[in-house]
Amino acid sequence: MGQSLHHIWTWLAMPRHGLALAVFIIGALGIGALFLGILCSVPARFRKGIVMAVTFIGGLYLSLEFLVPYKNVHTGKYPLTEVMPTVANLEIVIGCFALLLGIWNLFQIHGKTLMKFGKDWYNSAIFFLTFFSIAILGFLRDKGVHGTPEMFSILFSGFLLSLQSTTFSLIAFYIVSAAYRAFRIRSAEAGFMMVAATIIMLALVPVGALLTAWLPETGFLSAFRLERIGYWILTSPNMAAQRAIAFGVAVGALATGLRIWLSLERGSFFDRQL
Amino acid sequence: MNIFTRLQTIDRRVLYLLIALVITVPLLVRPGRHPRVKFNEVRNAYKTISNVPKDKLVIISITWGPGTTAENGPQTEVMMRHLFQRGVKFAVVSWDQAGNELSYEIGKKLEKEMGKKYGVDWVHLGYRVYYPQVVFRGMAQNFQKVMEYDKFHTPLSKLPAVSGVKTSKDIGAVIEITPSGTLELWIAYFNGPYRIPLIYCPTAVMAAEAYPYIDSGQINGMLNGVIGAAQYEALIGMQNAKTDAAATSWALSAAHIFIILLIVVGNLGYLATKRAARGGNGGGR
Repeated sequence: MGQSLHHIWTWLAMPRHGLALAVFIIGALGIGALFLGILCSVPARFRKGIVMAVTFIGGLYLSLEFLVPYKNVHTGKYPLTEVMPTVANLEIVIGCFALLLGIWNLFQIHGKTLMKFGKDWYNSAIFFLTFFSIAILGFLRDKGVHGTPEMFSILFSGFLLSLQSTTFSLIAFYIVSAAYRAFRIRSAEAGFMMVAATIIMLALVPVGALLTAWLPETGFLSAFRLERIGYWILTSPNMAAQRAIAFGVAVGALATGLRIWLSLERGSFFDRQL
Repeated sequence: MNIFTRLQTIDRRVLYLLIALVITVPLLVRPGRHPRVKFNEVRNAYKTISNVPKDKLVIISITWGPGTTAENGPQTEVMMRHLFQRGVKFAVVSWDQAGNELSYEIGKKLEKEMGKKYGVDWVHLGYRVYYPQVVFRGMAQNFQKVMEYDKFHTPLSKLPAVSGVKTSKDIGAVIEITPSGTLELWIAYFNGPYRIPLIYCPTAVMAAEAYPYIDSGQINGMLNGVIGAAQYEALIGMQNAKTDAAATSWALSAAHIFIILLIVVGNLGYLATKRAARGGNGGGR
């Protein structure tokens, strides 16, 4: 039985090209659609049960694999860990479906706006234009079509990268404005924070080291060099605070993880009719 | 409006113009001088990479995109440069679509500059959908099965740099270059269980969170933003090279001093106004 399954899996996972690959992709999509169709036709109370069971089994496998590495005495291997590469591949496939879901969602929103010529419809038109041009040019470039690498580069480096970098770099302007307007010493705590921030800001850049370069590199006075004070702040008070935060976050994550695993989480899809 | 009130209400457009100038000038002048001080975590990163056996693969994990190129770009470049210098093979894997292209361009640039060959000295595994926990565990068990192809769909078995990599035992170190908090995932699912050294290269704003892990030995070294990259460059013999990291470290110096000056000016105005208000009320109670 185990061997037969192994043979089937090996046959399914074999690399394929051309027509065979196309048949496999269409077949996989068909089976997926069939499975979703069956799931949708099941009464809601059973469907919820199926989702809960799949979530529980998935979580159970990952927990057991991580926490209880059971070793087979005959083979000397860990059976649960042995199948991890297959599980990893399955998860990559599921991740790709999440990408598709995101694209579908964008198409729906922008498609509706464009069809109705709603507010700012031209933004939706630009979305479709850029989406298809960069996708098609990317595929053509990978196929080695003449001239497409340059055109792809204009879209990718000229537009996408520049726009993303510009958007992110705007933060610098807001930080300057916010630091100037909001950083007032209204209390002793604010004063402490300002001193610590100033030391860290200077200690982390080369000019900070230059400011106290006149102090000796060894001995008692070396402790007053800006980079040393900054390093002490990062590795002592900061570290204590970060540890406390990390413990708090870990406990919270554990509680949330358990709630999701046992399907106790409210909100999301569990409270709605599936 | 008196001088103290004016000090507190400088037009934000003036501030924007000044910060643009303060950052742009060092980037245009491009000073080559690198930071004299090297943080311990940067030295440890250098030692860790220097000790990776030449028959083992280093994984460079890319989670960054165009937004943080200024910090993560130089980090990626300096780590690749050191690995090329040492002749240690490495594989780049990107969990970000744009970072996929950016990291490949950096690799190609260095490959040309240092006379290396794609597939033999390094490979790019392309963009992978971001579900790392299970992927990390699977990769440690069967690298070939989980990664399968490179960026150009060439099977890994046909690329000499990675064809011999089977499990975690063939991996010498992981370098995580990121603007986000992905550190714990590597520690929990890959570097911790399989005892593989981890170098963390975050943006400066994320670095403060990593110190507990450096203290516990779960991170073997760290490049603290672009300053860390500049310090690392100095360690690999580029102390006078006119690099992006060196120029950026001086741009940051200028920007930090400018921000500190603004905070001081704002507070002087605030304190003087407060004192004047007390004086106007009869010197307070």
